[in-house]
Formats: sequence, C-alpha cells, structure tokens
Amino acid sequence: MLRITRRVGERIILGDNVIIEVTEIKGQSVRIGIEAPRSLPIYREEIWLDVKRENEAAARSEGGKLPDVSARLKGAGR
Amino acid sequence: MMIESSRFGRVEIDPETVVEFPDGLIGLGGSRYALLARDPDSAFLWLHSIEDPSLALPVTNPHRLFSDFKVELADDDGDRLGLDDVTAVSVYVTVCAGSALEDFTANLKAPILIWSGRGHQVINQAQGCELRARVFSDAGREPEPAC
Repeated sequence: MLRITRRVGERIILGDNVIIEVTEIKGQSVRIGIEAPRSLPIYREEIWLDVKRENEAAARSEGGKLPDVSARLKGAGR
Repeated sequence: MMIESSRFGRVEIDPETVVEFPDGLIGLGGSRYALLARDPDSAFLWLHSIEDPSLALPVTNPHRLFSDFKVELADDDGDRLGLDDVTAVSVYVTVCAGSALEDFTANLKAPILIWSGRGHQVINQAQGCELRARVFSDAGREPEPAC
C-alpha cells in the first residue's frame, strides 16, 4: 500500500478526477473530503464488506424451489 | 435468450426481465442479471446473472415481508442515481436462504432498486434496517452464521 503523509487542507489526486482532502484531524479521527465523478459509488469499507459478505452468502443459497411460505410470512404481524 | 444455469439447467430468459447493473452488485460485480420467477406463487424471485451461470441470489419484495421497511438514500447517492424524477422504482432485497426457514434472512441494509431496466444496489440509511433481518417470525434463535 502506498503511504503518503498529508497535513490538514492538503490533497491527494487519483487519476485525473478523484480528489481526496484531509479536512480535519481530531484525536484518532480524520475527516476526509472526496471529490469524485458522480457515477462513482463511494462506501465506508466496513459497510461495503458487510454487504459483500451478505451478497456472497445469498449467492450460496441452494437452487431448490424456494418455499411458498405466504402463510408464515411476518407481514401480518409487523 | 437461453442460459445454462448451474442451479436450474436450461432456462429461457424473457428480455423484459433483464436488468443492467452499471456498478454490479456490491462486492460481487456482474453487470447483467435477470429476475427469474421459478414459482409464480412464491414470495421469492432469483436475481440470476446472465454472464455467470453459477451466480444467482434469491430476492424478495421487502414491503411484503417487513411492513415498516423504507429506503432512505444518502444525498450523494440520490444525486448519483438521478432518482428524483423517477416514480416507478421496484425495490428488492437479497435473501439468504438457509437450510431451515428459521434461518432465512433478508438484507434490508442494501436494497436493490430497479427502474427502466437498470438496477443499483444502494446503502439504506434508514434507521434500524438490519443486514440480516429474519424473514420468519416464529424463530427463537439466531441465524446460522454460514447463511
């Protein structure tokens, strides 16, 4: 991994169109600003990993007929 | 169009059910999926990759299973997807189909929005939406960690 030291207000540019700026440092927290093309999704890593794991788990579901479970659905009670 | 699904064998795909995912599914990728109804009576559909015969995820309409379900997008997601002037959006959530019904969970944290033949999996900012919401209420124990 490339490691770069930056001060508050300094930026890093990825390619031609992604800019990352350190905007604030408070204790162990660093606030970062990101300018990127609108079409580029941006995620916090832990959320991205959670969703990736859930997608992978769902994709391991067996192909058998999923049950017709209307009668047991939670919907009625929630 | 026909695909050779590793789960279902030869399957005819209705072009109307094909959804383009410009960004793929989060962490899984893929850009073209079809919404397959294997059983018209079931609450579950399969989001089946057109490109990878082994890749398919069960999905369901969350509003049917979770009456208080709602989707709230972060401002930048709303801007990115340009949803403001779109009205007809279908919402699905992925389902982890465990070996027992009690282990079925739905991912309310990352719903899939589909409109005009395009799909995006988004992060739901609504309070309290669970990554593994139990689908069936008559279960007392935690879902199996594997799925």
